Amino acid sequence: MKGNILVIEDNEQNLYLVRFILEKNGYTVHAAMDGQTGIDMAAALKPDMILLDIQLPVMDGYAVARNLRANPELAAIPIVAVTSHAMVGDRDKAMEVGCNGYIEKPINPDTFMSEVERHLVVK
Amino acid sequence: MLKGHRRIAERKAIVFFARLIHGLLILTLVSVVCGSMALAESRVVKVGVYENSPKVFTDESGRPSGIFIDLIEYIASEEDWEVQYVAGTWAEGLERLEKGLIDLMPDVALTTEREKRFSFHKIQVLSSWFQAYARKDSGLQSILDLNGKRVAILDKSVQQEAFTRFSRGFGLDTKLVAVADYKTMFEMVAKGDVDAAVTNQFYGSMHARKYGLVDTAIVFEPSALFFAAPKNSSRELLEAIDQHLDYLKKDTKSAYYATLRKWTSEEVRFRLPVWLQVLGLIAGIVLLMSLGGSVILKNQVNARTRELKQINSEMEVRIIERTAELALAMEKAQSADRLKSAFLATMSHELRTPLNSIIGFTGILLQRLGGPLNEEQEKQLKMVYNSARHLLSLINDVLDISKIEAEQLNVVSETFNLRETVEKVIKTSQPLAENKNLKLTAEIAPEIGLMKSDRRRVEQILLNLVSNAVKFTEQGFVRMKCEIQNGKIVIAVADSGIGIRPKDMDKLFNAFQQIESGITRKYDGTGLGLSISRKLANLLGGEIRVESEWGKGSTFTFLLPREGEKA
Repeated sequence: MKGNILVIEDNEQNLYLVRFILEKNGYTVHAAMDGQTGIDMAAALKPDMILLDIQLPVMDGYAVARNLRANPELAAIPIVAVTSHAMVGDRDKAMEVGCNGYIEKPINPDTFMSEVERHLVVK
Repeated sequence: MLKGHRRIAERKAIVFFARLIHGLLILTLVSVVCGSMALAESRVVKVGVYENSPKVFTDESGRPSGIFIDLIEYIASEEDWEVQYVAGTWAEGLERLEKGLIDLMPDVALTTEREKRFSFHKIQVLSSWFQAYARKDSGLQSILDLNGKRVAILDKSVQQEAFTRFSRGFGLDTKLVAVADYKTMFEMVAKGDVDAAVTNQFYGSMHARKYGLVDTAIVFEPSALFFAAPKNSSRELLEAIDQHLDYLKKDTKSAYYATLRKWTSEEVRFRLPVWLQVLGLIAGIVLLMSLGGSVILKNQVNARTRELKQINSEMEVRIIERTAELALAMEKAQSADRLKSAFLATMSHELRTPLNSIIGFTGILLQRLGGPLNEEQEKQLKMVYNSARHLLSLINDVLDISKIEAEQLNVVSETFNLRETVEKVIKTSQPLAENKNLKLTAEIAPEIGLMKSDRRRVEQILLNLVSNAVKFTEQGFVRMKCEIQNGKIVIAVADSGIGIRPKDMDKLFNAFQQIESGITRKYDGTGLGLSISRKLANLLGGEIRVESEWGKGSTFTFLLPREGEKA
């Protein structure tokens, strides 16, 4: 068992893809399909890492990150933003609200794991 | 009889005394002025003259003439200036003015560019605009009717440039015929060689009728005309002109309105001697009638002035209306363009989402995460994967170009290590180069390190230059060289590829253009890469230069400001 990763992602296909890659690489994946559920699950599970989609319905990824960072118990958990915006400024915005890294969609299976593991501090 | 003689004698005496007093007064005045002012001799003012009747031109007897000349003569007599004229072409006049060889150039339209080169007074002498003139039966109503038409225009003039810009704004395909002078232009329209001619309204309203031409509603570039003085010259001349203009324009009987009447009335043409005779005759009649008819004449003059003023204001209203209509049409065209760009940006974004799945899942299958694959399955999946990645890069390009065109692409300024970026680009491109047995190397000078720019965009430009070099090189090398020259970061990508023909250099950076390589459709791609790279480089404050020798290879150089490179 390598670690617990919480994936907050509303798109089923993307979630399936990320879950598949992570599980094949030996991680345990917990999934939340919206921001509020994600925040609640993070507080309950205290995962080793959170992969956060930025384009979420109702509460967007930036708001979720801000909320997570407001909880001192979760302060040490690395958050990696995943977004297909690929717009200039999105990266800065993600870092500003407390994300530790940034992965651009479409997910490239060749590099995805190394990017994830760069931010993962295994307990 | 006797009474009459006496009266004449009395009058002679009165006149004599009046003259005497007048003379004495002048003498006193002159001595007072001379006493108080040491520098009372008249100042020499050199004024440029060129041919643009009726505003300024040389008349049949070789004397400078026209509205501007009348005006400066009047002001000069009031100010005690001695005017010397320097004749030449328009371009020579401006050049002399710039060099300070003349003090004033008449008939200069105020533009921001000219404001940097010359000094202007504040009150405009005339307002003018350009207008298209055509044959009576032409049916030309608006600018849009000029699509596919032939239009004569003055060679190397402001209106040539303005009309080109103006017609391009409407997406018109108008063939411009450059002609050396206005006269030839009107002759060409009359003969049917061209469909219309563009002149300034002064020339047009004066001469169009003679050629059987009429003015069209196609009016553009209203401009304010002034005297211009050399930059940094003392403002004394310009201030004097303003003072007189201010006064002259308030009084409808002033010399200003007199010269306008003189040069813009239709019965007055260029036959000055005849005109002088007519004027003499009129003056005689006026003298005779002055005893009883001065009131009537005054009324007539006033009526005429009112008429002129009204025509003038009507024309101004027309111009304002036209300008508003044009602005509206332009606004419509531009908003359609923005809509197109927004649509493209959204579409590109929506297209990327399904690609996510295609690239992601073929990727994990190829990594054998889903289980073993046989050779055929792997080959086919690789095709799907490569096609999807290619499609993604096309969509990214279209997204970039539409954002650049909609001016929505913003760049950030962040500190990053350029050395790492260059190394990453080499690492990413290495497999492509190895596939073609090319030697891909990078030489990075030791002073290259941290810099401030947009990391992703710099990387995108470098990747584009390197992948282009690899794409168009069959054997040999692709070499990157990264150093600092004259305070700028200089990254050169040299290859031993097919090179670029000199005639193709211009097309190189155009969007959607791939230079004909001689080998049909050998090189794929949208042809957007270089166009995007150059635009991005400009947005980052840098540029891309290219040198190439056909058949030997090319060098693309990316120059970038280092801005806080050690920050």
